[in-house]
Amino acid sequence: MAKDHVVIIGNGPAANEAAIALRERAPELRVTIVGREHVRQYKPHFLPALIAGKITEHDLFVRPIESYSQAGIKLRLGQEVVDVDFDTRRVILAHKEVLRFDGLIIATGGKPRIPEPFLVFQDVMMTLKTLADARVWIEKLARVDSVLIVGGDLTSVAFAKALVSMGKTVKLMVDEHGFWPLHLGDETRQEVAQRLASSGMELVACRKLKGLARVSADEIRVETDCGRYTVGAVGAFFGLVPDVKFLARSGLYIERGIIVDESLMTHYDGVYAAGDCAQVYHPALRDYWVSIGYRNAENLGRIAALNLIGGKVCAETPPESIFHVEGVKVPTSWWAEI
Amino acid sequence: MARVDLTIEVCGMAGDGTIAAGGLLNEAMSAGGFSVLGFDSYPAEIRGFGRCVTRSRIGTERIFALEDKTNVLISLDDVQSRSRVPYLARDAAVFFDSNPPVYVEEEMSLAARVEPETTLFGFPMADLAAAAAGTTRGRNLTALGGFAATFGVPRDLFVEVITKKFKAKGNKVLDANIKSFDAGYAYGLEHFRDRLRDTLKPLPGIKKGPEKVMLSGNLAIGRGAIDAGLKLYFGYPITPATPIMEYLAAKLPERGGRVVQMEDEISSIGAVLGGFYAGARSMTATSGPGFALMTELITHGVMAEIPAVILNAQRGGPSTGLPTKTEQSDLHAAVFGGPGDSPRIVIAPSDVEECYRYTVLSFQLAEKYQTPVIVLTDFYLDNRVENLPIPQATEREIADANEYPDESVQGAYKRYLMTDSGISPRSIPGMEGFTFSATGLEHVEKGTPNYTEENHMNMTEKRHRKIAGALEDLPAPVEYSRGGPLDVGVIGWGSTFGAILEAVNIANERGLNVGALKITSIFPFHGGVIRAFMNRCSEVLIPELNYEGQLANLIDHLHRKDVVRLSRATGSPIPPSLILKEIETLVPAGAS
Repeated sequence: MAKDHVVIIGNGPAANEAAIALRERAPELRVTIVGREHVRQYKPHFLPALIAGKITEHDLFVRPIESYSQAGIKLRLGQEVVDVDFDTRRVILAHKEVLRFDGLIIATGGKPRIPEPFLVFQDVMMTLKTLADARVWIEKLARVDSVLIVGGDLTSVAFAKALVSMGKTVKLMVDEHGFWPLHLGDETRQEVAQRLASSGMELVACRKLKGLARVSADEIRVETDCGRYTVGAVGAFFGLVPDVKFLARSGLYIERGIIVDESLMTHYDGVYAAGDCAQVYHPALRDYWVSIGYRNAENLGRIAALNLIGGKVCAETPPESIFHVEGVKVPTSWWAEI
Repeated sequence: MARVDLTIEVCGMAGDGTIAAGGLLNEAMSAGGFSVLGFDSYPAEIRGFGRCVTRSRIGTERIFALEDKTNVLISLDDVQSRSRVPYLARDAAVFFDSNPPVYVEEEMSLAARVEPETTLFGFPMADLAAAAAGTTRGRNLTALGGFAATFGVPRDLFVEVITKKFKAKGNKVLDANIKSFDAGYAYGLEHFRDRLRDTLKPLPGIKKGPEKVMLSGNLAIGRGAIDAGLKLYFGYPITPATPIMEYLAAKLPERGGRVVQMEDEISSIGAVLGGFYAGARSMTATSGPGFALMTELITHGVMAEIPAVILNAQRGGPSTGLPTKTEQSDLHAAVFGGPGDSPRIVIAPSDVEECYRYTVLSFQLAEKYQTPVIVLTDFYLDNRVENLPIPQATEREIADANEYPDESVQGAYKRYLMTDSGISPRSIPGMEGFTFSATGLEHVEKGTPNYTEENHMNMTEKRHRKIAGALEDLPAPVEYSRGGPLDVGVIGWGSTFGAILEAVNIANERGLNVGALKITSIFPFHGGVIRAFMNRCSEVLIPELNYEGQLANLIDHLHRKDVVRLSRATGSPIPPSLILKEIETLVPAGAS
């Protein structure tokens, strides 16, 4: 299937892998990546190291900017898609531009998940998903010495360690759901907690966050079921959820993520979703799953691209692998039920 | 203190307030202590369509020329601004309206054209202006507000210059403009937080005050003329010289002078000759097509030895040509135009400050040498603005330079007395016993017609001797080099010289051995000085804004070999980078 113009929404691993696959396999196509962030693709898992000053921003980037034009990929940064009209096959950008497509891959990734009980505090909590977030943290950490980290997702441990290496006081508050989306048994969780405590973090053993109040620009009062204290900043690390709100009225089937079949196609012809924003049907499991992790996203991006140009590749569950949390081996399939 | 060197463009459709926004930007940056060089480009048509662009180069060091790459583009009309995208620097910032009245297809979108390194600052300019001031007319100010907030320019700096510009139009207009600006400023601070820069924070130690003023070349010419004691201005409107007449019409009457709009350029030069004939400092300003009409009467001034000051603001030609584009293609016409052997003085300032000084100088030259003096500028020089210390002519510079006849010759006065210098004391009509016979016919010393072989030869030689002698009062070429032998010597004139100097400076910083020579006296010219410079250069490069290489044609015989010409007839100023590239080509491999 030859498509004239393929638009890829998103600029993360799935999007970039899809673009590269398209250029390699179907060089006659015009390929446009539209990314909301103002920077080219980077490795988000290195953001804690950037904050700690161990690497520079330059080290984050995956490939030189020139490689896009050299590969014939039009990269549009700092431009946000606000709607898609699948009937007329048009992408609408925030600045009222109409971008017509023949094929579309939606790879918008995830956005920080704030569990409902914490939504009331979201104005005083900081997240770490993007380079812009990291820059805000760097500014903040220049002024504050103590940080409370709520939640224990894949990023939080690395971030907490980065903070410790900077000489900051780190309080880590995790409950039984604190390592979402990893599922740790009681024993493993206790072992992880012990290792974290020995790394210089203070584990806050409480079950309920009762209040967060900003006392001043760099002072937040924390109230839990087991005491009160003051910190300079509070970080929320509860994993990511698919970033698809802008498609809510587009006609796409969306549950938690964009519903796609095992070939990653939506119910619109030539429209695919890949990476953290997709909710993928798994024929063997007869259920929908979302992927997590950089490598999975890359893989799905490539599959979506291949299928868009006529391939018949199924998105299969990657084999189980081992994830290390402070030296504790945690087996994970890299797939998570949401 | 970090070095700042930013080129900022405002681009829009005629009627968008583009030029006004660029002017305010220049004023604000000047007030912030930066060096500023700005240049506007607008369509030849009066209003309603066509692209307007203002380019401003802002720096902590003195700015000599515009660069060809733009660091910041403020778009008031995306369709027009799309043509500016190729000129954007790699990491440029682009401000544009994110909520245009209608949806825009990709092919017509500015955002679709920019490179990925470009940082986009989209914001609803028209909506913000309308909400703040009840009209979208102030969206140019809103755009400036967004830019100012993003680049760290304090609000007060802009409010001050907005007030200066609009206060005469009443509080309602002023208030609407400030509100429009503030709306953009507030939006920028709130929404561009992740991209804020403090690049253009005012420089430390800047005292507010009138030390520096923003002047265009045309304004400097107008001020220079008034300070020189101009009494009569005669002119006919023509781009790009018209602002001189507009300025003088407002200011000259206050000084007891008169501005008269004539029916055409022929009558203008006629009246200027009449004014000087009667003893009053007079001038006219025109451009190529008008200058062509004046040619015959200019030679009348040569023959009758009557002073005149003629400003030729060059533009793209021939004929009507490119009215709002720049070119240095009237040099041949200025030096050689007209019937017969008709030597005259031609001088060419190279920056705004020289526009002032050379205008002042032109009146004394005209009086002393009793000849038309042509001041050659061009659109790029006339229309550019620079901030500079307020120029002020000295008493000596504006003193009467006429050489009047001695009382002893009353009754036996010879208007065209043969002298060693060729200068014959000039009477003013009305001086009893000093009859001034002004004639376009060849004449003898008393002024009566005479066509004999010997007389015509002698009188022609006298007129040439007089002009050649003017060299002693004409500014000598100025050299910019380390001295000694040079791998490349770059010679330039007029508005192009700023770009030459910047290119030469960069070349020397890169270890090359390059020098520059500025020529402002076009005719007569200092042949000895130019030849001595050329003799020290392995290669001589002459960049100029014309196709024929008109300065090169005038002086290339002074060099022992062919000069290298960088002649461009594009209608746009030559960027320093182009000259630098040519220099690097000419420098022998391995030389440093």
